[in-house]
Amino acid sequence: MNFLFFRGAFTRRNRRVLWQRKTLIVRMDLTYTNTLIKILTERLPFVALACSFLILTESANAAHHDQAEIERLFTLKILPLMSQKCFGCHGDDPEEIEGGLIMHTLDDLLLGGDGFGDVLVPGDAEASFMFKAIKREDPDYEMPPKENDRLTVAQITDFETWIDAGAPWPSEERQAEVRLAEKGVLENEDGILWKTSGGQGDEWTYRRYAKEDLWAFRPVRKPEFPNKENVIDHFVRAKLEAVGFKPSPKADALTRIRRATFDLTGLPPTPEEVRAFVAADRKDPDRAWSVLIDRLLASDRYGERWGQHWLDVARYADTAGMSNDYEKSNAWRYRDYVIRAFNDDKPYDQFILEQLAGDEMASQLVAERLSGKEANIEIVHKIGAYTEDEIELMVATSFLRMGSFDTAMVPNNERRQIFLDDVVNSVGQTFLATNMRCLKCHDHKFDPLPTKDYYRMYATFAATQLAERPVEFSEQENMIGMEEGKAIVERLHTYAADRMNALYEKRETAARAWFEERGLEYINHADRKSLDDDVKPPRDIGLDYVGEGRLKVREQDDWIWNRRRERYEPMIQGVYNGTDFLAMNARKLRMREDNPEVNMDTHILMGGSVSAPADKVSPGVLSALGLAVNENAEDPYVISKDFDGRRLTFAKWVAHPQNQLTTRSIANRLWQHHFGKPIAGNPNNFGAKGGKPTHPKVLDYLASELVEGGWKLKRLHKMIMMSDTYQQGNSHPKLEKLLEVDPNNYLLAVYEPRRLTAEELRDGMLAITGELNNEMGGLPIMPEINTEVALQPRMIQFSIAPAYQPSKTPDQRNRRSIYAYRVRGQADPFLELFNQPNPNDSCEMRDSVSVSPQAFTLMNSDVVTDRSIAFALRLEKESNRLKSQITKAFELALGRKPDRKEMNRMFEYIEDMRVYHQRFEVEPVEYPTAIIRSLVEEFSGKPFEYNEIMPVFEDYIPDKKAADVSPETRALADLCLVLFNSHEFVYVY
Amino acid sequence: MKPPICSRPISTPMSRRNFLCGLGASIGSIAMTDLFAADYVLPKPGPLAPKDQMFPSKAKRVIMLFMEGGPGHMDTFDPKPELQRLHKSESSLTKESDPFKFFVGSPFQSRKVGQSGIEMSDQWKYLADPEVADELCNYRGCQAESVNHPEALFHMNTGSRLGADPSFGAWTTYGLGSVNQNLPGYVVMTELAMPQGGSRNWSNGFLPAHHQGTRLRSAGSPILDLKSQPNKVRGHQRRTIDELAFLNDIHAKKHPEHADLDARMESYELAYRMQMEVPEIIDLSREPEYIREMYGLEDKETEAFGCQCLMGRRLLEQGVRFVQIFSGGWDSHDYLEEGHSSRIRSVDKPMAGLIKDLKQRGMLEDTLVIWTGEFGRTADNNKRGGVFSLGRDHNPNAMTMLLAGGGVKKGAIVGATDELGNSAVDVVHPIRDLHVTLLHLLGLDDNKLTYFHAGRYKQLSQFGGQVVTELLA
Repeated sequence: MNFLFFRGAFTRRNRRVLWQRKTLIVRMDLTYTNTLIKILTERLPFVALACSFLILTESANAAHHDQAEIERLFTLKILPLMSQKCFGCHGDDPEEIEGGLIMHTLDDLLLGGDGFGDVLVPGDAEASFMFKAIKREDPDYEMPPKENDRLTVAQITDFETWIDAGAPWPSEERQAEVRLAEKGVLENEDGILWKTSGGQGDEWTYRRYAKEDLWAFRPVRKPEFPNKENVIDHFVRAKLEAVGFKPSPKADALTRIRRATFDLTGLPPTPEEVRAFVAADRKDPDRAWSVLIDRLLASDRYGERWGQHWLDVARYADTAGMSNDYEKSNAWRYRDYVIRAFNDDKPYDQFILEQLAGDEMASQLVAERLSGKEANIEIVHKIGAYTEDEIELMVATSFLRMGSFDTAMVPNNERRQIFLDDVVNSVGQTFLATNMRCLKCHDHKFDPLPTKDYYRMYATFAATQLAERPVEFSEQENMIGMEEGKAIVERLHTYAADRMNALYEKRETAARAWFEERGLEYINHADRKSLDDDVKPPRDIGLDYVGEGRLKVREQDDWIWNRRRERYEPMIQGVYNGTDFLAMNARKLRMREDNPEVNMDTHILMGGSVSAPADKVSPGVLSALGLAVNENAEDPYVISKDFDGRRLTFAKWVAHPQNQLTTRSIANRLWQHHFGKPIAGNPNNFGAKGGKPTHPKVLDYLASELVEGGWKLKRLHKMIMMSDTYQQGNSHPKLEKLLEVDPNNYLLAVYEPRRLTAEELRDGMLAITGELNNEMGGLPIMPEINTEVALQPRMIQFSIAPAYQPSKTPDQRNRRSIYAYRVRGQADPFLELFNQPNPNDSCEMRDSVSVSPQAFTLMNSDVVTDRSIAFALRLEKESNRLKSQITKAFELALGRKPDRKEMNRMFEYIEDMRVYHQRFEVEPVEYPTAIIRSLVEEFSGKPFEYNEIMPVFEDYIPDKKAADVSPETRALADLCLVLFNSHEFVYVY
Repeated sequence: MKPPICSRPISTPMSRRNFLCGLGASIGSIAMTDLFAADYVLPKPGPLAPKDQMFPSKAKRVIMLFMEGGPGHMDTFDPKPELQRLHKSESSLTKESDPFKFFVGSPFQSRKVGQSGIEMSDQWKYLADPEVADELCNYRGCQAESVNHPEALFHMNTGSRLGADPSFGAWTTYGLGSVNQNLPGYVVMTELAMPQGGSRNWSNGFLPAHHQGTRLRSAGSPILDLKSQPNKVRGHQRRTIDELAFLNDIHAKKHPEHADLDARMESYELAYRMQMEVPEIIDLSREPEYIREMYGLEDKETEAFGCQCLMGRRLLEQGVRFVQIFSGGWDSHDYLEEGHSSRIRSVDKPMAGLIKDLKQRGMLEDTLVIWTGEFGRTADNNKRGGVFSLGRDHNPNAMTMLLAGGGVKKGAIVGATDELGNSAVDVVHPIRDLHVTLLHLLGLDDNKLTYFHAGRYKQLSQFGGQVVTELLA
């Protein structure tokens, strides 16, 4: 009784206090006032008035300052915090109240929990049990219970302030007033407001962001700079000098030509190129460097190197992944488009438009040239009779098809969602440096990206349908290997079909006999499927489990090879605008002419679930950028609902010169591949949780220069490479101190070495051995890969995928890695080991860790051993003296001559190895032309075998192997192998 | 179609690589004199250096037996007599496009075994031994999400259906490191064919590459290019590394600022040591006869999985943190009786052998043994070609798994599915809770075992989960 009475007294006293404190004041830091009004008028005109009113009231109500402040503290900090961290167990769910304590109202709090009453003692935080609990002083009563939910020191102090001030609990109306007033304050101690299309609740819409977290959403501003030095150097130096450092001295000429050549072409410079540059550098260093960069940018090798960076982000592969790993037989046309775009220095805005809406642009061109004649237009699209320009546009849209995709067993609406989620996220990451997955299920937790904008972008692509579309080959496309490839595919198809038909015939013969015995008329296999068991023969009559198993394998192979005939058909991985349709098989996607009547509205999907549609949304763009699609529209961020033009409108918004995410994103990626690290740490995520830009002014400078220079990338490359920052050395005079201050080299006081990428390693070795064939483009090539991996069985749905067969001749195989067949379910183990990314996910930055399996491969693999032999043979061809062979080996692999110590040691090494190899006979290598596969038959659980043929090996021309060369060559090859393994070859400095 | 057992070339044999089935053939070819030619170098503490548990917990290492394809829970450890009664009668449990579905009773009888009386189908002969059965904990409450193999495999292995995140094994070595620096911390063994989704199932995802599962291949070279070229003996290999070290030393002195160089040279030395250790570990001929018998090495049906289990034990003994073995062929859409009984026979004896062997070595109490598939199977099926197909479809709502050792409840059944086995109904938890629980058993807190990637701290469970306390001893 006493206890209850005591509680009652408290309650009354506090009520009284509360009523007295009903005022309308918000604390404002006056130092911000001027800037604030300025910003507010620009960005949030609707609140500017309210704001000035609040500022005026400040002094007038100074006497009540403290009380108002406490109420504000409670409303904006204490209550939301309790709601977030306490109410879950103390009020929200009446069925589950922990410890009998409810915290929803002051009365509840003062009432306390089961057996303890002093949860809250207004005016005395130290005496309040809740305060002790949040301070986590007593290990038995730590609140919130999860360590992860622990309150910050600032939050604990807020509680202390509130309780010590008498724990006022303003009324709902008063809270609403406080909150409303706060919505007018653009910036307060919690951060700033940011305008968007609005979240799922006001709490999100009016939440606050740390200023620095919003850097990417602010418009690009070209920084001011003095004209007397290189702009990049100016800003980099300013940061360095601020911490008392100077940049490193310039790197030597060899280092710089090797760096520039690998960076722009992915290949090492030849000894002749090195010599020429070193000589020119001595005469006129600036001119020599400038000429070098121009030469490299003009080389076709440039597009092959930088196209690869783009394909990493776009997730290029020649197959679709998942259970079936269907081949995307014409994906290579997109790969070549990308390489051409870089080589032709296609303006980046155009590059964006084409990849996002090339089909719509092509349709416009077709309509124009045929003066809108419907029938003729239809024929063009049906047979793919496009002009050169139109073909380029059509091929570009394969970008939208780059994701891993299979429809097996997925219900229609989910399948559609899988594609749309994939494309929305891919477009966000690739062009806008925004991870869209973070706003699929809810408003973004950290960035001003409401889930509404996710579904607006989703709606933008909602009418985008997938199809392999007929598009004639263009003059620019390489048709090499078409005829030869076709012959092999036909051969493999016939092999499978013959065996399938024989087994089918065997079964049907037995079936015929079965019908005959019963005096019934024969019914073919397809037609009798649906009949009852007693009026038809057993399912696989005439076949034992081996026959059953083989029939299934042959049926699979029959359609696999039949489908691979598409490799030689003029088709693309395309898209078109149309309505959704129900039946869909990723095996074969074709344009539908009968666009069925389907409701194509897009809704916000609650929690990302197709079964929980909420508000309807229109197609649109990300509102947080403040970049309108249509200035005059009621909602400037919404796109018209017409199917045609929807994507193009979106693409134009992405490619708008004022799109701050787009321009910064590509400038950042360019920088990244010159310095090994980007300016903003996560090129696919500029949000609050991505790395902040180390040199924001440089980034904005490059972004503005990009647009001013007509979106040309080569100009930007040169700008970056002409800087002293790019040309500096790796070692700093004050290295130790520098490592203390800037261990991650964010300030760029030195040029950081990087390991060669997987492709650079393979291509570089081929270039050094002289085997590299610079043929560009066309059908994917099949390099030799590890034989065990090539032949090992690879499960796909219902069967084993056909074995990997390399291309027949060294010339066909030894082309650049970007042209190699990229199978999602079967990576080239060499490239994978050196961190070629998994194409299932967009790769913003490759890993380059050294692990032991890399050592195995570089020392022991067939592919590297073959390169070392080819290298030795080249050296022997060019000189017959061991010493000059060694010199040449160093020059080719490392760009320099060996010093005396190295020469003597390597000389001795080779002599020893000559003796060694005399002693060891080598067996010749033979290639299997067929392979026996074993599978377990599904129904019987018994293993059976079948033959697979590998016709390529019937007249295969292998690379030179150890058995084909002399012991002397093998000894020289040992040195070559060591050079390929050396740090100096593997790293670029 | 089921996974293959073996592939071998015909017409012209490959002279450089040995494609024979089984492991013995690939190992014997390394001459013993070469093996002992090496002088051991003490490894430096690397990225896989052992780390303390976050809180004391029993399990120190894991062996995970993954039954790819999805074993039918009602045909293995979760009997459903009601299904037997309804056999071949019409079912409306799973309404899809198929016009007719019928219930499928298990072709097997079930019985209670051991002191604990846990239930098993009569196909399990060796696992039913009380000495083994009473060590097991059968969990019936886990629910998967995806009905497709690769996505479901990714989910069970990496916590995400997308197949780009780090696997459970990778998180484990990230959290605990590994004891033996001469071997990878996370070893994976598969059948000759990789499971669907391939190496994404043991990927390091965004964690550093050292945490990637190293696949010991079941035929041919256990690690790709582990062996030097046939004309290069171990002494030659040593000389190659010495010459490389000579050039690299000169280079490293010119580049004192370049911190990666030491680690890279060290990776060559580790490779050299692995060339010794790996063949020794996978050389099962050194195991005494009675041990080989326990794992079923003498029987063709159990040899493959038996070899892998025994190798798994040897690896764990040598300080490998996480071993994962995939056994395929559990996807019985039809001919359930033949399919499942042959699958069960192939793993039954090796599993029992493994548990007994770990026990007799005192390793079971700190080794977590896990047996699971990617999902369970349905109680009903559809006709195929008009015929009653006695098999089952994929079922993400109910599945069964076994846990043993490492702080897990012994001889227990935890959770339950409904009387038809259509869905879990008791102690129901999503895969993320299972992951949190498994990490918990290893002394790792899922909420603290995080890695910053793509803008947020990521964890195995994706967004956190709860420990299934019912599973803990």
